[in-house]
Parts: sequence; structure tokens; C-alpha cells
Amino acid sequence: MINSLLNPYYLQIGMFVLINAILGISIYLTLATGQLSLGNAGFMSIGAYSSALLTIKLGLPVYLAIPTGGMASVLIALIIGFPALRLNGLYLAIATLGFGEVVRVIFLNLKITNGALGISGIPSLNVLTGNVLSTLGFADGFAGISLQQISNCAVLLILLVILVLLLFFTRRLGFSRVGRAFAAIKADETAAQAMGINTTYFKILAFILGAFIAGVAGGLSAHLTFYIGPKDFDYHRTVEILIFAVFGGSNLVWGPILGALLLTLLPEFLRAASDYRMMIYGAILVAMMAFRPLGLISEETVRFWRTKLGRRSSE
Amino acid sequence: MLKIEGLVTGYGSIKALKGIDLEVPAGSIVSLIGANGAGKTTAMKSLSGLLKPESGRIIYKGKQIQGLAPHKIVSLGISLVPEGRNILSQMTILENLEMGAYQRKDGQVAADLRSVFNRFPVLEERKNQLGGTLSGGQQQMLAIGRAMMAKPDLLLLDEPSMGLAPMVVADIFKVIKEINQEGATVLLVEQNVRQALKIAHYAYVLETGKIVYNGTAEEVAANPRVKEAYLGGSKTTV
Repeated sequence: MINSLLNPYYLQIGMFVLINAILGISIYLTLATGQLSLGNAGFMSIGAYSSALLTIKLGLPVYLAIPTGGMASVLIALIIGFPALRLNGLYLAIATLGFGEVVRVIFLNLKITNGALGISGIPSLNVLTGNVLSTLGFADGFAGISLQQISNCAVLLILLVILVLLLFFTRRLGFSRVGRAFAAIKADETAAQAMGINTTYFKILAFILGAFIAGVAGGLSAHLTFYIGPKDFDYHRTVEILIFAVFGGSNLVWGPILGALLLTLLPEFLRAASDYRMMIYGAILVAMMAFRPLGLISEETVRFWRTKLGRRSSE
Repeated sequence: MLKIEGLVTGYGSIKALKGIDLEVPAGSIVSLIGANGAGKTTAMKSLSGLLKPESGRIIYKGKQIQGLAPHKIVSLGISLVPEGRNILSQMTILENLEMGAYQRKDGQVAADLRSVFNRFPVLEERKNQLGGTLSGGQQQMLAIGRAMMAKPDLLLLDEPSMGLAPMVVADIFKVIKEINQEGATVLLVEQNVRQALKIAHYAYVLETGKIVYNGTAEEVAANPRVKEAYLGGSKTTV
């Protein structure tokens, strides 16, 4: 029973759900100041390539390489952030979309990134965790579960911990002075300026936080799939991340996370109707836009359920 | 307290302000009046840093402040109540007021909140409601209260009477006068010239980006051109 639940396919989908949820937090943070940035796939690829190359070429341990990849994304975000954030709305979206494509083309043409072939043989988190676990005495598995299954579960747990930490951080941020500034800028930038909020600073801050988290997600995914190529980070990826926020709702951090969960699982459930999969997927999105344009979760939803549940939950 | 010299601000090639000079003495109410499109809001945006002037100087308490970022200007003690009020409609009234004190680190914020509530009791009654649920007049009160929460020495008011019923306008102007009597200097931009001249000490008349006339409020009110154009004088044919 447990053995069939822990099959590699389910475990892999579980990992993708968690990675996508982290990407959902990344786009939530930039949207928190009302900036529609579509550079997340670009930042993700910077994190992924940096982390992969650092481990392969320099032998850096994975747990250092992934955050370093995130910092590489932050560095690039700082460089493009100042000019890009002078733009608003659709102009920013187009500029950041262009940025993502530029990054992709650079990786496609660099020698060190191996061009269109991509990088393979990236140290795998599963294998590394397996090695650690076998030194701890789980080499032959545990209670009928193989070592591979245990290490997959352990990786799942690591991803879950990272997601929960990021979630905790994001929620704390939301209730802090910084979060209030983000909300004010999103609601009305002129009002925020008139109140003495340094809007440039907070917009850049949201932008680099989003870039860091996207970079970390990229690093994690590189070490899960042990192969990355420029195709993994094209504009389809960007749109996918954006849809998490559109589908789940972008006003609360739970929205993109729910969006990531549902939209990662949905194609798998629709596998039976695989010929019509993308059609059904599209139809669901159109229906969403028609009936819940703010996404599945909005402040209204929270308020509704809170009164309905007799104020038991604290948001 | 505030001195503007030869201020030019434009949007691309269109100059909305073509070199204006203006002075706001400490403790006074100065009114900048003019029709739609005269450049009044542009002047306010230049003063508060929302627009960068092309040339000219803005001198506040002896320091040049033209081109500074808006949050730096707020920290120097200049607060803008923007045209159209810009209430944060998804935040509560209390949150709106607290946001007004965003930069302050002194311990007097609670006391100032108290005095805003004393001035506008309706805001206290509704402090946990969302800003968007207020009527126009109440939103204007909230916008003024929010600006006062920054403890400004100079309050910039951009068309506080816009879209309000005459009775409410009278209330708002009464409050502006009180705020001034309690020590804040006020620069008031208005289309409601009659009301503005009633409470102002000095007035400047702005027409298509230039100051065409200035003087004490009485002088400006008595000027035949001002009478004719803004106060419904004998020659108007409405």
C-alpha cells in the first residue's frame, strides 16, 4: 500500500508542486507592490545555471550552491531593476519578458552553459540525500521501503520545509512596516509617495526578493532533474508562473500557492484525456476569468470563510 | 518659509508652468487660484517632488529642495493632500492615518492620532471601516488627517473642495483655517475662488502656467479681472 503510494511518479509530482509553489511566492512578492514583472523564468534560469555550474565546475556543495544561485539572481535583479522599475504596468511586463528571453538566448549561446544541449549530470538532491541516509544506516531501506523512496521522501520534506519557511517569512513581511508600504504602493503609488514612502526602494526590494526566491527555486529544480537546458526557462515557463497568480489570486500569498498546486496537478489528472488536455486546461482558465477574475482566493474569500467558521481561524 | 523662483515644469515639450514666482510666509495661508489647466496641480506636484522641475528654484526654510524625491520632501516637513484625495480604499481608516505617520519615529504619533480624531470625530466612529466606504467629504477629512499625521510644517492642499457639497466645503475650509491657526503654514490650490479668498492671507492667480496677479486676499478679491473671471462679476453672461 505505502509502496504503491511512494512510487517515483507521485513523488516527482509532489516535488514539482512544491517547486511551483515556491515560484508562486516569488511572483506574489513582486505583485505585492503592484509590479507585473514577467522576469521570473529568467531569474529562475540564472539560479539554476549558477547553482549547476558552481557544483559541477567548482565542486561547491549543493546546500551552498543553491543560495548562491539565488544571490546571482539578486545581483542581476539589482542591475536591471533600477531602469526597469521606471516603467509601469504593461511596459514593465514587456521589458521583463524581454529580459527573460535575453537571458535564455545568452545561455543558449554561451560555451560554459553548453548551448542548446544544456547541462546534464548535475548533482542530484535525491542521490545526495540517499548517500547521507545510507551512512545513517538506511542503506537497505526501512520497513519495506527502499532507500530511493526514503530519500525521495526526505527531499520532499526538505522542499516542504523551504516552502514553509518562505511562507512564514512572506506572511511576517506582510504584517510589517515593509508589507504596509508594499500594500500602499500597490493600492496607490501617488498616495504612497505623498505619505513619505520611498517607493523606489520598496519596489526594488520586492523585485529582488522575488528574484532571489525564483533563483532558489531554479537551483532546487536543477538539482532535482539533474538536467537543465535553455528550453526549460522560455516564456512558456513565465506564463505558467504568472497563471499560478492569476488562477489562485494574487492578493494573498495563499493564492499563487493554491494556483501552483492545482495547476501542477491538473495536467496529471487530465492525462487520461491526454489528447484534449490543453483544451480542457484552457477552458478552465477562460471560465476562471469569466467567473472569478480576482482568482480563487481573495480577501473577500477569507472574510467570507472567517465569518462562516465563526471567526475560529485567525486568517 | 517657502519661496519659488522661476519654476518651470513640463510634460515633455509642453510646459505646464512657464516660470512662476511665489512666496509662502511662515504661519500664513496662501492660495493659488486659477481655472482648469492653469498649472495648479503641476505646481503642487513639483513642490512635493512628484514631478521634477526643469528649471527654477524651490527654497524651503533656506534650503533648495527642487528635484528631491517625494519621501525626502515629506521628511523635511512638507505634506501634500493630493487632488482627488487618494485614499487607500482597501485599508481601514485607522490604517490610512497610521500610514500618514510612516516616516515618524518620535513617540508622539498616538497623541497626533488623538487630535485628528478630535478634529474629525466621524473618523474615530468609523476607524475600522475601509477607506473606500467613506463619503467624499469624509474622504477629504481622512486625506487631511493623514497628511497631518506626518506633522507637517507646511501643508499643501490640492483642491480640497473638489466634488463636495457646498456645506461640506464650508466645513473643510473651517478646518483648514483651524489647522493654520494651530501653527501649520498652508498652501491651498483652489478653483473655488470665493471660498479660498475668504480664508487666505495672500493669493496668486495662475493662468496658463504664469502668475498674472498676486496680492493680499482682499486685493485679489477686489481686482476687477479676478472678479470678472472667477467671482461671477457683472460682465459674466451665464
